[in-house]
Amino acid sequence: MTLQVAPPAVGMSEDVRAGAERQSGWLVVAEQECRDLWTSGRGLVLLFLFSVLLSAVTYLTSTNQALNFLEQRESVNLVLQFAVAVGVLATLVVSADGISGERERGTLETLLVTPVPRRSIIAGKLIAALSLWFATFLVSIPYVWVLARGVGILGQALALGLCVGTLVAIGLGCIGLLISAVCNSNKTSIAASIFLLLILFAPTQLPSGLPQGWFFEVLLRANPVASGLAYISSMLVEGHSWTQDLSFLITPLLTAIIAGGALILAGPRLVRLTRGVNAG
Amino acid sequence: MTITVEAMQLTKQYGGRSAIEDVSFTASQGEIVGLLGPNGAGKTTTIRLLTTVLEPTSGEFSIAGHRSTAAPEIRRSIGVLPESSGYPSHQTGGEYLRYHGRLYGLSRSQARSASAELLASVGLAERSRSSISTYSRGMRQRLGIARALINDPVVVFLDEPTLGLDPAGQAQVLNIIRSIAKARDATVVLSTHVLPEVEEVCSKVVILNHGRVVASGSVGEVIKTALIEQSAQLRVPLDLVERARNVLAGFPDLTIDQAAGQPDVLILAVDRPGTGVAPGEVMNEVLAAITAAGIPVLRFELEGARLSDAFLKMTSEAVA
Repeated sequence: MTLQVAPPAVGMSEDVRAGAERQSGWLVVAEQECRDLWTSGRGLVLLFLFSVLLSAVTYLTSTNQALNFLEQRESVNLVLQFAVAVGVLATLVVSADGISGERERGTLETLLVTPVPRRSIIAGKLIAALSLWFATFLVSIPYVWVLARGVGILGQALALGLCVGTLVAIGLGCIGLLISAVCNSNKTSIAASIFLLLILFAPTQLPSGLPQGWFFEVLLRANPVASGLAYISSMLVEGHSWTQDLSFLITPLLTAIIAGGALILAGPRLVRLTRGVNAG
Repeated sequence: MTITVEAMQLTKQYGGRSAIEDVSFTASQGEIVGLLGPNGAGKTTTIRLLTTVLEPTSGEFSIAGHRSTAAPEIRRSIGVLPESSGYPSHQTGGEYLRYHGRLYGLSRSQARSASAELLASVGLAERSRSSISTYSRGMRQRLGIARALINDPVVVFLDEPTLGLDPAGQAQVLNIIRSIAKARDATVVLSTHVLPEVEEVCSKVVILNHGRVVASGSVGEVIKTALIEQSAQLRVPLDLVERARNVLAGFPDLTIDQAAGQPDVLILAVDRPGTGVAPGEVMNEVLAAITAAGIPVLRFELEGARLSDAFLKMTSEAVA
């Protein structure tokens, strides 16, 4: 078999030269990354596991509610908190695969030689990771609806979950990408992210009966997941207005700004063939 | 011919160690340049610098008229097949090419038609809907070359494109490389250490050793530069060996020896250091004289005239 490459189509070179101005690279990367996440089955497996866990938590919560151990508002809060916490942490794990995974699979170099700016590559990967958060949120809507019937907090709960969860997911997604950029091995990146996940998740699970001194307060407010969930709790359970405990959102907001800013500023130095800002 | 690749004293250091040092060479439009060197010579580093994946510690380069500081313009003008390139196994060949076409700014329809055309060119049209995980190594390499051409590049960098391929696969890839230069008038920079490949397709070679250019030019020029001692084995009928010796005695610069254990084989060596006369020319004269004397030549084998001889001499000298 003799194979020969034909001359290119007339005008294609000019289209390529002009193409970068016409199209947004981040959108192309995001589209493909989302397709990879969802058609490869990785996203669906995570979503399925999330659904199983959420079903179990909802069942236990509604049982407790039926036995009068929990008020209905508390049940909604508990399930929503679980959905937000697990959803954003899944986002962290997916984003942690973003750059180190490409390095490990040997596909990063072909991406780096395209004219798409490094920041657009990062943005595309972040959007794909956030798609998992939005999918988990969609899955959790019927669960929250079932528990919130009759108390008139469904709209408030969903709006809170979406706003706070998205804010925390952006921050954690950026952290995941930062971890991924500084790790050569995908295993290291995922392990570091899971470790971070445990650190962030543990304070949210402390029994409410424990003494809550200044240390607990610091721990709570320093943790973007825990403080975000505390904000949800203050509105849903304690009935505070949306402005009353806004200070709880400082850490999630700062996390998103600092991690996102670090990615924007250091992105071109971080998305490299080998890890580290000085590599290569 | 337009110069499309120009490397000027490129140096890349990692810590205190130099991966390449003062590498300079040029390549013109439609030319296939072989970048040769033993493992660790700096071939891949040179390609990564020229494709803007790495930044040089010092030195400059230009690709398709764009200076090294204009990375986005350079990336739009080049196609690259990296060494041991990975592929997303769950994507199909067609999907993979369309994605890369869109990364270069092609519209969906342009990316679709460009990918279909390229897949056909590299013999993968029937497998365009198959998952890449089902592709053989040769098919993946051809897919990688197709991807490197999706943006109609001015310069194509191929890093070890035939690595791990069977002879048929190697021949297919070499045909594709030839046609890239011929049909598309693109410059091809081919990194390899398979020397017969280079002799077959390259119009120019650059030999690297320990990060430095030890020779560059056409294959013939590089062999000449190496000043390799050339010798030849001449086999004639046993009863005509003495007559052949008499004819060869007319060449004063020729040393004649008997091959051990082979009475009908003479070993001829040219000893003309610094005369500027290519040993190959003397050997041609020798062969002409033998045949003119009516002596049948049963075998005439020239040694030291291959690129591999020059390569081995240059790289081993540099080590020593």
